[in-house]
Amino acid sequence: MSTAIIDARGWQNCFDLRTGDEAEIVGPVCEMVKAVLAGHPYPGDTDFTSNRWVTDTALDLIGRYEPRFVFLTYAQQYFSGRYESMAEGARKDMISRAFGEVERFADASGFAPIIVGTGDMTPVTGIVDLTGLEGLAICTHWSTRYTGLFDATKKDLAFLEGHPGIEGYMPWSEVLSTFGETDRKDARLPEYLLMSRKGYAFRTVGILMKVPVMIPSTNYHIPVYAPGSDAMNITGIRGLIEESLHENKTALIVMEGVGCDDFLWPYRSFGNGKDWFYYEPSEAQYMTITSGRHRFIDFPSGNKYFDVDDRRRDYPFSGIFKSAPQGSFADTFPGKSIAVGNKSMFMHMVTGVDISVECFARNLYNQGTMAVVRRENKV
Amino acid sequence: MYTRSANNIVERFPHRWSSCGAAVIESVPFYHVSPGSRCLVIGTASCNFRCRYCSNAFVAKEDPFVYVKKMYHLEPEDIIRAARRLECHSIVFNVNEPAVSIPSLVELGAAAKAEGIPMGCLSNGYMTGESVEILASIFSFFNISLKGLSSEFNRRYIGIASSEPIVRNIERLARGWHVEVTTPLIEGANDGEIDVMADILSDIDREIPWHVFRLLPEDEMKGERYPDISDIDAALTSARQKLRYIYFHNFVGSAWVNTQCPRCHSVSIERVSLGCGGDKLKRVVGIGDRCPACGSPIRMLNLVSNRKENT
Repeated sequence: MSTAIIDARGWQNCFDLRTGDEAEIVGPVCEMVKAVLAGHPYPGDTDFTSNRWVTDTALDLIGRYEPRFVFLTYAQQYFSGRYESMAEGARKDMISRAFGEVERFADASGFAPIIVGTGDMTPVTGIVDLTGLEGLAICTHWSTRYTGLFDATKKDLAFLEGHPGIEGYMPWSEVLSTFGETDRKDARLPEYLLMSRKGYAFRTVGILMKVPVMIPSTNYHIPVYAPGSDAMNITGIRGLIEESLHENKTALIVMEGVGCDDFLWPYRSFGNGKDWFYYEPSEAQYMTITSGRHRFIDFPSGNKYFDVDDRRRDYPFSGIFKSAPQGSFADTFPGKSIAVGNKSMFMHMVTGVDISVECFARNLYNQGTMAVVRRENKV
Repeated sequence: MYTRSANNIVERFPHRWSSCGAAVIESVPFYHVSPGSRCLVIGTASCNFRCRYCSNAFVAKEDPFVYVKKMYHLEPEDIIRAARRLECHSIVFNVNEPAVSIPSLVELGAAAKAEGIPMGCLSNGYMTGESVEILASIFSFFNISLKGLSSEFNRRYIGIASSEPIVRNIERLARGWHVEVTTPLIEGANDGEIDVMADILSDIDREIPWHVFRLLPEDEMKGERYPDISDIDAALTSARQKLRYIYFHNFVGSAWVNTQCPRCHSVSIERVSLGCGGDKLKRVVGIGDRCPACGSPIRMLNLVSNRKENT
């Protein structure tokens, strides 16, 4: 059983991660994790100490658990500019301080860092309003590049073809074939996948009330700091980790909202997708990094997410996940592994590590922290 | 909100909506309305309160003139169509105060009624008797926010002089409609009024479900200390003897979100709380409106029959 330990600031409760049932936990690992959570209350996604919280929490957990593999995510710079305008200088300063946290972590821990930027950000220049379509357009959560379209009419398609903010639309069957699949049946999947142009975000029913001011750019490539590597694509990052771990304690560090334009360490430009497709910062991008194969089809944008959201289902604390994904590098890594991040409540699912500590913030509302203990048998 | 035009009061931006999306009804929250059902959540902009801790200040405290370009423009038939497409059982207004958008809601209410889609709302309950009758003609289930009782609290934290109209309107609505009540608790500000509020609600109807919220300090209170969960739980001890359904949540992992039989205390409905509008149904034990152990009735509004049951 994987255990979720929730710290709602000054109060903790434990659950079976899968069922969501309250659980009484005992054992040195869970007690240790509870102490880590109690000692590191989450300051909030846009708080100026948010990235510092990642470093401090990770160093504390490393000191207690002594892992060989660490997965970190720094996301303060991604959230801070998303809904409120930031001057370019302030944004660059924030990114500089984020890299400062990476440096502090590396110096203090001795781990060899592999650093991945999830892609550049760009100001919103236009909105593609799809609320007038005859078909149903679904834009899932924070996506701005992709939207799903169900029951499209000819009139809808004509509208899309004439809109300056639409780069194109593709039948879902072609999306599947891009990733080598042909016959996946799922009523949640759309008929068409729509793609916006750089700077455009979609407006459909069901999107967040807050309107973004900075969104992911056209990130066909992302920066990766990995000295000596000759990999070229996001699917090659897993191999870099495995290679590094032969010699070193290794930290995979993801810098959210940082692309080739802003990456401050020497980097190599990696492909961030396949053919016409590139990843947005998302569960699919993380799963592709950790599993070494493309995972967009497993976590597609523009699906009818609500079909699984309002009936009893497993993993109630795990965001979009209704089952535990397989194939992450750390799932089968024999050494100890941890993850710490301030992106969202999905690191425990995408990293596959023994222990994860993540913020529990929903749409930037700070609820506290959650740790997930998947394995206790490595102590 | 409204403006005057040729001696009439008119809505400034009719049929403009800040939100329109599918959600589970527990997330609103309604705990005693068709558990696990899906609702179309809508809202407009602005409010008649100025709560210091508003979670939706970017909408509720914003002048609609500024916000209108970011809003959906949806006529009643568009919203009905969205509700149908998203397979929603009801339409719930929950982002800001419905009393600031009455004309649009009257039109939407008529369209929804014609389609057999029930409507509910969250409201601060601060309105005239005439307005509450209009809302009662639109909505069939309400969650009214009783934020505090003392004049000092209401002036300092809410920006109103008195809670009397709110209590009066809860009483009025509870006579004919399904009503749940929500109270965000701020330690040192309104937690001393827990028992008095419970007495008031109990005098109206012991079966009113009461959602006691741990305050999420946002807006002007961002950065202030989060209320202590154990202390509030202890402070609710006496109130739990007065009202049959008290829930303590608005924080992730709450242990006080299940519905228990008022008679034998068996759990009849289990939920999980993700905090801040993220509550979900986990399972209904038995049939939901009867205790699975002793058979006692559980207050529950069935949206299909659209009437208050087990009163």
